[in-house]
Amino acid sequence: MWFQLLLNTLSLGSFYALVALGFSLIFGVTHTFNLAHGELIVLSGYMAYGLSKAWQAPFALTLPLCMAAMACLGQVLLALVRRIREPFELSSLVFTFGLALVIQNAMLFLFTADYRRIPASGKPLRLTADLIVTRNQLWLIGLSLAATALVYLMLRKTFLGMALRAVIQEREAARLAGIRVERMNRIAFAVGGALIGLAGPLFGQNAYLHPAGGMEATLIAVVITLFAGTGRIRGLLAGAWLLALLESAAALWLGSNWRELVSAGILIALLMWKPEGLLARKKPAPEL
Amino acid sequence: MRGVPASRLAAVLVLLAVLCMGQSAAFASEIRIGEINPLTGKLANHGQEIHLGIQAAVDEANEAGGIEGRKVALLTRDDQSRPEVAVSQAEDLILRQKVAALVGGYVDSLVGPLSQLALRHEIPYVASASLQTHLTREGNNPYFFRISHLSGLVEPLCGFVTEALQARSAALLHAATPGATELSRELFKCLKKAGADLPLVEKFQPGTPDFSPFVLKLKASPPDVLLVAGFFQDHLILARQIRELGAPIKAYIGPWGVAYPSFVQEMGRAAEHLFGLSAWNPGMAVPGTEEASDAFTERFRRVYKKEPTTTVMHGYTSARVLLHAVGRVLREGRPLRGSEIARALRTIDLLLPMERVAFDTKGDPLHYRQVVVQIQDGALVPVYPPERAQGTWIYPMAPAASNP
Amino acid sequence: MKKEGLRRHLLWTLVVLLALGLWPLGGWHTLLVCRVLGFAFLFAMVTVAWNLVALSGLISLGHAAYFGLGAYAAALLDHYSGAQVPVTLAVAGLSAAAYGAVLAVAFQRLRAASYALATLASVEIPKVIADNWESFTFGSLGLVGTRPLPTISVAGFAVDLSHNIMGQYYFLMTFLAVACAIHALAIHSRWGWALRAVREDERAAAVLGVDVFATRFTATVLSAALTGVCGGLYAHLMGMTEPDLVFNLHISAMPLVFAILGGRFRWYGPAAGALVLYSVDQLVLHPWLPAGHAAVYGLVIMVILLFFPKGIGSWPAPRS
Repeated sequence: MWFQLLLNTLSLGSFYALVALGFSLIFGVTHTFNLAHGELIVLSGYMAYGLSKAWQAPFALTLPLCMAAMACLGQVLLALVRRIREPFELSSLVFTFGLALVIQNAMLFLFTADYRRIPASGKPLRLTADLIVTRNQLWLIGLSLAATALVYLMLRKTFLGMALRAVIQEREAARLAGIRVERMNRIAFAVGGALIGLAGPLFGQNAYLHPAGGMEATLIAVVITLFAGTGRIRGLLAGAWLLALLESAAALWLGSNWRELVSAGILIALLMWKPEGLLARKKPAPEL
Repeated sequence: MRGVPASRLAAVLVLLAVLCMGQSAAFASEIRIGEINPLTGKLANHGQEIHLGIQAAVDEANEAGGIEGRKVALLTRDDQSRPEVAVSQAEDLILRQKVAALVGGYVDSLVGPLSQLALRHEIPYVASASLQTHLTREGNNPYFFRISHLSGLVEPLCGFVTEALQARSAALLHAATPGATELSRELFKCLKKAGADLPLVEKFQPGTPDFSPFVLKLKASPPDVLLVAGFFQDHLILARQIRELGAPIKAYIGPWGVAYPSFVQEMGRAAEHLFGLSAWNPGMAVPGTEEASDAFTERFRRVYKKEPTTTVMHGYTSARVLLHAVGRVLREGRPLRGSEIARALRTIDLLLPMERVAFDTKGDPLHYRQVVVQIQDGALVPVYPPERAQGTWIYPMAPAASNP
Repeated sequence: MKKEGLRRHLLWTLVVLLALGLWPLGGWHTLLVCRVLGFAFLFAMVTVAWNLVALSGLISLGHAAYFGLGAYAAALLDHYSGAQVPVTLAVAGLSAAAYGAVLAVAFQRLRAASYALATLASVEIPKVIADNWESFTFGSLGLVGTRPLPTISVAGFAVDLSHNIMGQYYFLMTFLAVACAIHALAIHSRWGWALRAVREDERAAAVLGVDVFATRFTATVLSAALTGVCGGLYAHLMGMTEPDLVFNLHISAMPLVFAILGGRFRWYGPAAGALVLYSVDQLVLHPWLPAGHAAVYGLVIMVILLFFPKGIGSWPAPRS
């Protein structure tokens, strides 16, 4: 049972991390506090749902299509938020709140209020006598590891990544050093959009799709991003796993009704202990 | 105006122009009915089903030439699942739109304030899907009626688990909402009375994305029956995880959210053998109303291009009851006032596909009973109580391994 | 501000205040507008309270905690002791203020996004307790049957605050006026300058002799107390209290949206944002588009932010 619990926690944490990745990158580089994040994930999920229903597209094929589409949509979003003036973080938060309402209700109109689910990819696999892993979980763990690794390598090992990190750490200094911040913004929205696109179909497979279901995803993304500290890609995955572990342990020993209290309490305790974010080095928290 | 750029002025003008559109004028001959439902947000699926049911009843009446020759106009408003919004919008309907009566309502926390408002303005309110007992217990409100109540769920459900299945142990999981909590509490009482063992009773916040710790606990000490007072979306996750992790329970019962064709469609084979509750489904009408039920089903599918459900039927029934009372007031040549409609509602006795509608002095329905249905080969088969059953139940349900 | 600007500013304020004050005597659909504006006053008060903390440079995402605590305090006191409404409201404010004080001390090192996240999480603690302490708070069932606002006598007239909507309107307006007065002080008084110094540059403020912690502490506790009173009023107005209703994320997000759209740095800004947006939403958007009002509402928010970056409160005044 313990291995099963650990495996489920691992997949739940990977789910959290995937949901948070795009938010973290966009917030880190462009300082856009995107409250429409969850709505975009749900939109991408609906896209995958439509593809699989209308053309019987296999699940693996829907992923790149959704990623490409959401990367393009990311550029549209950037064109909108570019017009927002100072104080940028707060205004972008309210602006995307409005945008979230618009997307949510447009989806309600387009896709109706019925709850949808993207079917599982196949039979669960029995690893040992009482350790079962589902295909969904394999997808989740594999993709979140791959996405995290790719984003991490991009940020650490490429010239572009260095420029992006410079923007994350010190925006004005990066501009003075000749980094084209505008271009970095575009890249962040493209990569962040692709990550949102990747999260959507998995969200539809592991939770459900509903026009109003984006708020939960946004909350997960906000909590994990701020918890780990922005721009901390590895920290994001670790933070997501830790949160999933704490929640599952609370639900197991104390009961499902205490789950929220335990995660909130531990979150507060950790924030009081390390105000900059759990795994960040000494660095002020991003402005809000 | 100095200091105000033209672009700002233009923006304000455009906004004002957008905001001032609409607002139709009232016709004296119309019978105006107001409806309050959650049309947006999490509960929009059921809110819109109820709305369609009410719309179907109104359309039906208008196609038949109206009520005593007068057309019925339905004015719908969204409550956003917040009581202050529900109250404001209901008051807008009553004061500005001059509706004769109110109908609709899905969440109990909103039905309470609405019923108080109905009393204050002396406008009858027929609630479409209200359950909680306290709403009719306290005070005397001659303007509040509802076509459903909690015991109509608890009695058949408890009878089914204790007498039909003769389950010795049950686990209870319920959402942290007032309605689900009260249902779970009533079930707990009745199961305890029948001598069943209740090793696991838990509550969860709606919107929980993962139930696997709970499922692991179930797996460790499996009860015969799992009762889940959650909603559509919770069943989507929980029922799937129970199948995937292979928790060896013998029956899974979801009073809400399971007995829907859309649930079967989204869950596929994983929905097989789950139990739910339903007051009505196509082909499952109260004896004596089969013809009316089939006519409704056929018409609904044709006009609205959707499958009617038990929730749709709740909306339809509440609107039918209200329109019937309005018709009686008009036929008797009385003025169409709130007090007259309420008086007609109190003495109503109408046989409809979902239930025979008659109210007690508190406005509660006398004959509301839901039916236990089981998903068998993708169809919703009524299995209990015996007088409404069309098949036999499968118990224990097929083990998870045989389900893809 | 230039002299002409100041005069026009005063004129606008006077017009709006007169309109709000005299509306019940014979405006368009008086009862309905009074009902909607009554709720708008309540939410405007929450917005003003929220802005007190924001003026000290901290963005709170957890005002639902104070609101819910206030609602529960009033409803529980009403249920168990049958205390009079002034008492329940005072206790509502005090209990929220106590929680605010605890948070102000606990979160004193947190800034910006960390503070926002910590406050967001701080809502869960009272919520889960209210949700699970069944013997005392009735758990998820919530409390029903909280007594409505009482009848008070004003200058010899008895005004039933629960049934007389106009009385209720002026009653709630009074509360908002008090909140706005405090808010004006937080901008224009000596304390207001201290808040401003703390917001702009903490270290410099400390050097100048401003007690940074005390300034923020006062703002947070005041804000919590005001929000708690609003929660108590809500419990009496609606007659019921449920965990998910009063500790809702909606209550935390609403003041932020209203305040930013109204303009955070004028004494009337947050209140103006709340009054305009809430009443436009309820009186115009809902009736016009029953199923699509929220989309238009979202569009309105986006448009206001693009065209009025300093909030709608900045419109009548000339640009400096």
